[in-house]
Amino acid sequence: MGNCAASGICHSFSADGRCISLLKILMTNECIYDCKYCLNRRSNDIPRATFTPEEICELTIQFYRRNYIEGLFLSSGIIESPTFTMELLCRTVCLLRTKYGFGGYIHVKAIPGADSELIRQTGFWADRMSVNLELPTAEGLRRLAPNKHRKNILTPMRQIQTGIVQNKDEVALYKHAPQFVPGGQSTQMIIGATGESDYQILNVAENLYQKFALKRVFYSAFVRVNQDDQLPALPGGPPLLREHRLYQADWLLRFYGFSAEELLSEKRPFFNVLLDPKEDWAIRHLECFPVEINRAGSEQLLRVPGIGVNSARRILAARRSANLTFEDLKKLGVVLKRALFFITCSGKMMYPVRLDEDYIVRHLTEKEERIRLGSDGMTYWQMTLFDDDLYTCEVPAVEQRRTAVGEL
Amino acid sequence: MLVYRCEDSLEGIFTAVYRIYAERLPREQVRLALDDEVRLFETVQRCEPDAACSEKVMRTLIRRFGQKDYERVCFALAADDPDKAQAVYRTIALGLTLQYGNGHLFDALADPEVHKAFQLSRNVEREFCHLRGFLRFEELADDILYAQFCPKNHQLPLLLPHFADRFPEENFIIYDVKREIASVHPQGKEPFLLHGAEMGEERLHRSAREADYRALFQDFCRHIAIDERRNPKLQQNLLPLHLRRFMTEFSDSTHAADETQCH
Repeated sequence: MGNCAASGICHSFSADGRCISLLKILMTNECIYDCKYCLNRRSNDIPRATFTPEEICELTIQFYRRNYIEGLFLSSGIIESPTFTMELLCRTVCLLRTKYGFGGYIHVKAIPGADSELIRQTGFWADRMSVNLELPTAEGLRRLAPNKHRKNILTPMRQIQTGIVQNKDEVALYKHAPQFVPGGQSTQMIIGATGESDYQILNVAENLYQKFALKRVFYSAFVRVNQDDQLPALPGGPPLLREHRLYQADWLLRFYGFSAEELLSEKRPFFNVLLDPKEDWAIRHLECFPVEINRAGSEQLLRVPGIGVNSARRILAARRSANLTFEDLKKLGVVLKRALFFITCSGKMMYPVRLDEDYIVRHLTEKEERIRLGSDGMTYWQMTLFDDDLYTCEVPAVEQRRTAVGEL
Repeated sequence: MLVYRCEDSLEGIFTAVYRIYAERLPREQVRLALDDEVRLFETVQRCEPDAACSEKVMRTLIRRFGQKDYERVCFALAADDPDKAQAVYRTIALGLTLQYGNGHLFDALADPEVHKAFQLSRNVEREFCHLRGFLRFEELADDILYAQFCPKNHQLPLLLPHFADRFPEENFIIYDVKREIASVHPQGKEPFLLHGAEMGEERLHRSAREADYRALFQDFCRHIAIDERRNPKLQQNLLPLHLRRFMTEFSDSTHAADETQCH
């Protein structure tokens, strides 16, 4: 029973607005580790329970039949030892695939420090595997998760990566060879529990994509569930905006041809609160704009705020049969509210727009937002009547002529 | 102007398209209509659906524009819109005349008719993607899975292959409350559609364990939400209220009879 859809299917959305597609459960909430950020750490006094593999299988099948879920996401606390835990996980997914004949999606966590043969076997039953990076840097890991080591985490990650590559060759040679982790691997890390900058985090993510060939990196805003003096107090709630900006940047890395270095730098290590990373990049690179919609290449189009992968593709297709206007762009799904500052159609801009940092920022951000968030992260300033002394410099003759004939 | 009045079905509309080409009519001078409304200077001709003709159109579409674009056409034709036939016909005619290649049927988005067909197709596909996830089955006493829903467009023929592929070993029924059509999938046999079926709440006897699994899933959905991140508005954006009507996690645990008509 069961199949998988390439795009994935969301089956519900929980009250925090996140998609519920998998039955996401822990095999056990017992744990021998004492990670400071985790509710199930050894030193917490909470009720503990462990599933049997059969219970998990029965629950998955019954939920799946009713179309509640798309598959199983199996994680676990560490019971007795990493290898013992991994064996439990492996037994569960093996049972689910063989005895219960489940063909849906299975995502299993690989437990760092577990026997590599067990991880390999599990990989043949699962669609996707992931090893949690937990925290972006080794230093943070030492401080908050004293039982976990960076090296232990990266070893199974590398093992799964090489496993996938080898398996591709096997499958090419023998069509019916069993597939190893066909859905690729992912990882996740906690944002805001330690003091890393966005720049560091984004570099870590870029490295993971390039060196470990990960499918996805997940960022989760830190939620303080334990009282511990090592953990930061978050009076404003979890850093959700920061998480959101990181996901936006993550998409730019994977689908838009940006690199981490372009978006942030040592000197500007954090994202702008008011502008999304793409707008922010565009504002700092006004020399690349405006882009002519009817002529620009796809890389150029992808860099325009308000044009996504889909609309760029549609523009390329549609302009073969017609000269596109702003009205057409709206139909194609371009967000003109953002794009109009950066594009021309047949050489004309939509409105007489000034290509000027301050002007564009003021129009891109809404006033209320600016007041709510303060001027935090905003490097551009608001013009007032009282800084007219800034504008008393001599206007060159070229500028005067351009103003007179209405050129930009 | 000649008007082809065709039946509101994939077969009916494809047959009309076939007739226009077979009779070598000037393509600008023909309009496809699903209703009986006649405009000035128009003559109406009825067009009965014919399986062989529609099959030929289907094969041509797949050969010229590929499987993906053919599916898009099917999505557009499942829409609940009186002008869909004309929009799709114009799109196909344009694609054939200008000899668009595989996967390029909807390229000329600047054309209003093509854009209309594209929009219809996209809307239906979006609803289809939602329903694939949001449809909920209940287990009845004789091991039959039963789901009811109330889609805006005619989704049953699209959903049936998806669920037949997913649950080949199950007996299941999906019931469209608005159109009163049921699709029945007997275990291991060909599924079929049943028009004019009536499903009264009083005829549904749920299995003994059904209530337990409902409660388990409701618990799961409650606990998976993180309180610190609560965001009902985001939830509502992604899962609008009208889609929640038949969903397990949004109904209370008693099986309240839902007799209100759906429009």
